Amino acid sequence: MINIKSLLIILFTVFINFSVLSDEADKVTTTSSDFETTYNEDEIFDPIEPINRVIFGFNNVADKIILEPVAKGYRKLPSPIQSGINNFLSNLRAPLVVVNQLLQGQGKNAAETTGRFVVNTTAGVLGLVDVADKIGLEEKEEDYGQTLAIWGVGDGFYVVLPIFGPSNLRDSAGLFLTYSTDPFNAYAVREGEGWVVPLRTATNAVDKRSKIIAEVNALRNNSVDYYAAVRSSYYQNRKAAIQNIDDSELTPLPLISVEFE
Amino acid sequence: MNFLYKIFFIFLLNATPLLADEASDWLKKEIDNILDAYKDTSVSKVDRFNLIEDSINNNFAGAGISKFVAGKSWFSASKETKKEYVKLFKRHLALNIASIMQGYSYQEYVLINSKYDEKNKVSMIDMEIHNDTGNLLVTWRVKKSKDRYFVIDLIVADISLVVTKRSEFNSKLKKVDQKLNELNVVLRSQNESSYSIITN
Repeated sequence: MINIKSLLIILFTVFINFSVLSDEADKVTTTSSDFETTYNEDEIFDPIEPINRVIFGFNNVADKIILEPVAKGYRKLPSPIQSGINNFLSNLRAPLVVVNQLLQGQGKNAAETTGRFVVNTTAGVLGLVDVADKIGLEEKEEDYGQTLAIWGVGDGFYVVLPIFGPSNLRDSAGLFLTYSTDPFNAYAVREGEGWVVPLRTATNAVDKRSKIIAEVNALRNNSVDYYAAVRSSYYQNRKAAIQNIDDSELTPLPLISVEFE
Repeated sequence: MNFLYKIFFIFLLNATPLLADEASDWLKKEIDNILDAYKDTSVSKVDRFNLIEDSINNNFAGAGISKFVAGKSWFSASKETKKEYVKLFKRHLALNIASIMQGYSYQEYVLINSKYDEKNKVSMIDMEIHNDTGNLLVTWRVKKSKDRYFVIDLIVADISLVVTKRSEFNSKLKKVDQKLNELNVVLRSQNESSYSIITN
């Protein structure tokens, strides 16, 4: 059994260790290299920021009082129903994904997405079940904004669209092209069932929003500038989608010193 | 003699170098500590956050991240302002991470992949979070220093926490002529608001 003297010495040793560590943490030194970064995130071109902030404020309120509560309700549906809706919407997007993959010269991916569409529409009961994923045909997303970026079209400036949220000039043009060339939307309008288009858009928004409830709340509740945080998140997310690279390779490593932690 | 072994063991625990391939094991233990804190319903929300804040402060490179996030405004700030800013930022970081992890507390996760970037001496550990309707990929960037590991960034669905914070703080600092002391006022107020949300 350890005696009092030994215990005091052990406590003293541990205390000294922690004191040294906590003291080290407070010693903040820096060199100029700590601020070097190849990432140009600070340089997002946002010339209409005051207008964007107003629209962002409106969208934020709409999200809080409509989209988030609906998304939370949607999350309470049985998971096969949620998966079914997600798969169905994803399958409807497939023809335009194929078009964009072809426009980007991704022949193999276009063939796979075509295969996914055929398999899921037939064996997957109109896309409700993602059978294709189970046979190795992985889902890949491409849109007109990404195609324009691959063709060398720049971002343009940052813009917040009412209801649709963060975007930029190029991606807004891409969004317009998506709505105007989507074969299912065109068919619905031609058949006099135009109401299907906003319903599809709204369902898609709820489905997507339901997957990021925790992340959006974490960002909204803990940001000193929520607008800037969303703007940065949008650009990082789009950059990853355009470059089709994996998360861990995406952002150039910030040069963070841990020597004085 | 027995007592000397005990003293030696205490020092050894602090100094034992962890192998690079052990970064994932270390991270899993730390993530489990945080997630377990959420699952323990006997702990009050305040105690839970305090526990998580301690864990985050011990395992994240809070001071290094805070400097990176402050950008060029760091140079012109006084020593006292910097010290205050680092303290506030560490709490801000803890509140952010705690808030993100709270959302994952009842979901299953698995560390699926670990890569080591030899050039930058950084381990990148992929964590896949499973729920009924899909998976979410979170990448932890971990760096070793003085024989222990520090998390230097967290990437959720392609979005880096550190890069987002830098952009966010830069936007705020532009409005106050890069004065870090004025940012501290905003940061203190935001921390109080975030703390109130997470503990109520």
